[in-house]
Amino acid sequence: MQQQQQQQQQQAQQSQSILNEEDLVSTVLADLKRVVREYATAATESTCPDIRQLFTKLLHNTLSAQGQLFQAMQQSNMYNAASPALRQELDKQMQQYQQTAQKTRQLLQQKLGGALQQNAMIGAMNQQSPQQQQPIYM
Amino acid sequence: MIQPMTAKELEYVADSMSNEDLLMKQCAAVVAVSTTPAIRECCSQMIQMHQQHYDSLMHAIQHHQQIAPTQPQ
Repeated sequence: MQQQQQQQQQQAQQSQSILNEEDLVSTVLADLKRVVREYATAATESTCPDIRQLFTKLLHNTLSAQGQLFQAMQQSNMYNAASPALRQELDKQMQQYQQTAQKTRQLLQQKLGGALQQNAMIGAMNQQSPQQQQPIYM
Repeated sequence: MIQPMTAKELEYVADSMSNEDLLMKQCAAVVAVSTTPAIRECCSQMIQMHQQHYDSLMHAIQHHQQIAPTQPQ
């Protein structure tokens, strides 16, 4: 009964508006996404600690509101989620980035090996002078 | 002791108030036509949130008004 009334109400309002419920909700979701980005930019570009803190708080609130609206849309079948990535694609990326990580570890070991070790022992072995100045110390 | 707000920060605060104002109205438009309980509830709550955000931003300007310089520096 109530639903019928709501449907009539919706039809009445839809005849006045080009955007239906789903369109309107989608614009809200899109704007929440945009505002999240804007708050992130504003926070990172703020100088006053209190203003940065305010933008950070608003960023968190907006981000969780966007998540809640997304979930409500998904529950109501208003959102077509992207199709799942294939297993072989995951395997491929996994393999590739394991290689990247391995190379980076080797590079860091090579360039900063001594420094990293010394960093770990800082305070205990101060007499050991570094071979070269590393910007990591600064 | 707070430091004066920069011109850039003021721009962001003002733009953010426009965003919050628009979102408040958009959520109200959804609540007015929505027949989906989950969506209605979510958007009703969001109207309150955007109102609070707007007030917080307004409050930040107010808070910085007294210490803002009156001459360009």
